[in-house]
Amino acid sequence: MSLSDADFLHFRTELQHVGDMAQPTEMPDQERVARAKEVFMESLDARRAVHLESCIHCGLCAEACHFYISTQDPKYTPIRKLELIRRFYRRELSPNRWLYRLVSRDLTAQDLEDWQELVYDSCTECGRCSLICPMGIHIADMVAVTREALAQAGLIPAELRGIAQEQAARGSVFGVDAQRLLARFDELKEMGLEVPVNKDKAEVMVLTSVLDVMLTRDTLVATVKIMNHLGVDWTVRTEGFECANFGMLSGHAETQWIASKRIVDAAIACDAKVVITAECGHAYPAMRWDAANFYGKPLPFEVMAISEFLGRELEAGRLKLKEIENAVPMTFHDPCKLGRIGGTFDGAREVLKDLGIELREMASNREMNLCCGGGAGVFLLNRATPLREKVFELKRQQVNETGAEKVVVTCGSCRLNYLSGKVHTHWDKDIVSLVEMVDDNLADGGAQA
Amino acid sequence: MSLLDFARGPALQWSVVIFLVGVTWRLLGASLAAYTKDYAKARSTRTLFGGARTILVRSVGKPQFHKALVFSHVTGYTFHIGLFVAILFFAPHIFFFEDILGFSWPALPNGAITVASGVTVAILIGLLYRRLRHPVQRSISTSDDYISWFATIAPLVTGMLAYAHIGPRYETMLAIHFLSVEFLLIWFPFGKLMHTFFIFESRGMQGAWFERRGVKA
Repeated sequence: MSLSDADFLHFRTELQHVGDMAQPTEMPDQERVARAKEVFMESLDARRAVHLESCIHCGLCAEACHFYISTQDPKYTPIRKLELIRRFYRRELSPNRWLYRLVSRDLTAQDLEDWQELVYDSCTECGRCSLICPMGIHIADMVAVTREALAQAGLIPAELRGIAQEQAARGSVFGVDAQRLLARFDELKEMGLEVPVNKDKAEVMVLTSVLDVMLTRDTLVATVKIMNHLGVDWTVRTEGFECANFGMLSGHAETQWIASKRIVDAAIACDAKVVITAECGHAYPAMRWDAANFYGKPLPFEVMAISEFLGRELEAGRLKLKEIENAVPMTFHDPCKLGRIGGTFDGAREVLKDLGIELREMASNREMNLCCGGGAGVFLLNRATPLREKVFELKRQQVNETGAEKVVVTCGSCRLNYLSGKVHTHWDKDIVSLVEMVDDNLADGGAQA
Repeated sequence: MSLLDFARGPALQWSVVIFLVGVTWRLLGASLAAYTKDYAKARSTRTLFGGARTILVRSVGKPQFHKALVFSHVTGYTFHIGLFVAILFFAPHIFFFEDILGFSWPALPNGAITVASGVTVAILIGLLYRRLRHPVQRSISTSDDYISWFATIAPLVTGMLAYAHIGPRYETMLAIHFLSVEFLLIWFPFGKLMHTFFIFESRGMQGAWFERRGVKA
């Protein structure tokens, strides 16, 4: 089972018009600046202050950034992307603000507009730059804050803004709402698959994503089959099923919490002990790391990425897999948001090992992974396409160097970006979903109990 | 009061006061800001260990970054070591510190100090050239970089000139050397030289952040 190039191209063409539905966010320049400053003011704590005090302007962060490496354009130097928050900090909050106010100028609406390209189009918040910084500055973390500031200033790129507005107002993404989900489950029922929807009580609540409902439909099928195979007490709740979070991607904090709260409320309603995010990179940190901070206390359930969950079930002996006979060598792409930012590395690798696959690691793997270039919503930005394609070349080279024939992914956004690169370059590699591979190779009589 | 008396007397005292107050003010001002509580369940609670690991390991860098880091590491470590050797192991400096601290330590031969200072000055000039030429560094450089560069190299150059009896008469050159050190002390709390102190805190905080998530930074 795999997604055809034709289906993907059709979907990609539709995506190109996603910005058309965005509502304008007009406001006076003065208000834009005031709103951005308010975000900076609220976000700057001691950790970020210390980071902003520490920069020695060495520029080494550029050497870790896929956007700089592939273009050699100094404007993509990661620390430059923090110029707005740094200037605000220095002028308004730093111990020496009295001095900085004398020698620097205040933020302007033009600054905010100029930074839109730098923090949306040319940063995937992958965090690799943070790991090279000799001073230990967490650059990606503060790019996210800058996105939040621009979002409040009404400067989210149209593509992300439109979807975020839809998700906040209607709870759907690309029109995929509870009805569309139920219609899809009806189709699965016709295929003989039972989906325990809206159970009052369930140990495990599974999330899906708009992609798995609309495009990578086999991944949803595979998820259902695996959960049933495991005999887990699970459910999908229609009031909180969508794990893609366009509040997070756009930097719009209120929308992020609206989207996350639907899931939190749904999980609490069914007394779930575990919530599983689908193959969707950013969904994991949105729920696993950010949601509790919006909630204001620890979440009353555990959040796991599906790859992490599969690894745990395998280790516990509940997931039984068949070894793939004559499997071709494969490589595994660590999605930044699941790996470096999320902290999950081993689940997918354990599964691949159990499937008998010769895993050929890329030169940059685990926490050192190179981003595919499409994360944090960059894949959706039309004007970023040429840059994104250029950046993807780095990834393509690393995959080619492994000699692997297939690339295993555990993130829908990475998958789309790989497919885009594959089509664009007539690449001969197959891009495969881990969940689909697991479904294809479930051992008979596995852990039904 | 001669220029040397001024440089050794009130100028030195005030610059030390500005240095101490300024460094403390800036360190505490940033470090004592509010901390954001993280309510997400930690994957690892060994955040102190994670912070300490990043403080140490980042000094070497991740193996995959070594190629990118080699120039910075070779020049950076050499000039920092050269700087500290010149400051701490030149016999007249040790006498100076002994007056303040009440104890001393062995000095290095003057020849070794000259070599350390010379190498450090050469590297600093090279680093300035690179900053002016390298597109990335040039694009992110500010006046802080150039003032801090001057504040670092000036005491070395004036010290070497005073030692070699080049330039104005010795007392004047020595006074200029003192004044250059005082400029360094006064500038220190205002510019990027503060990384001397912030580096540990910043690395530690990042290491702790990633450790919480189960990532080795």
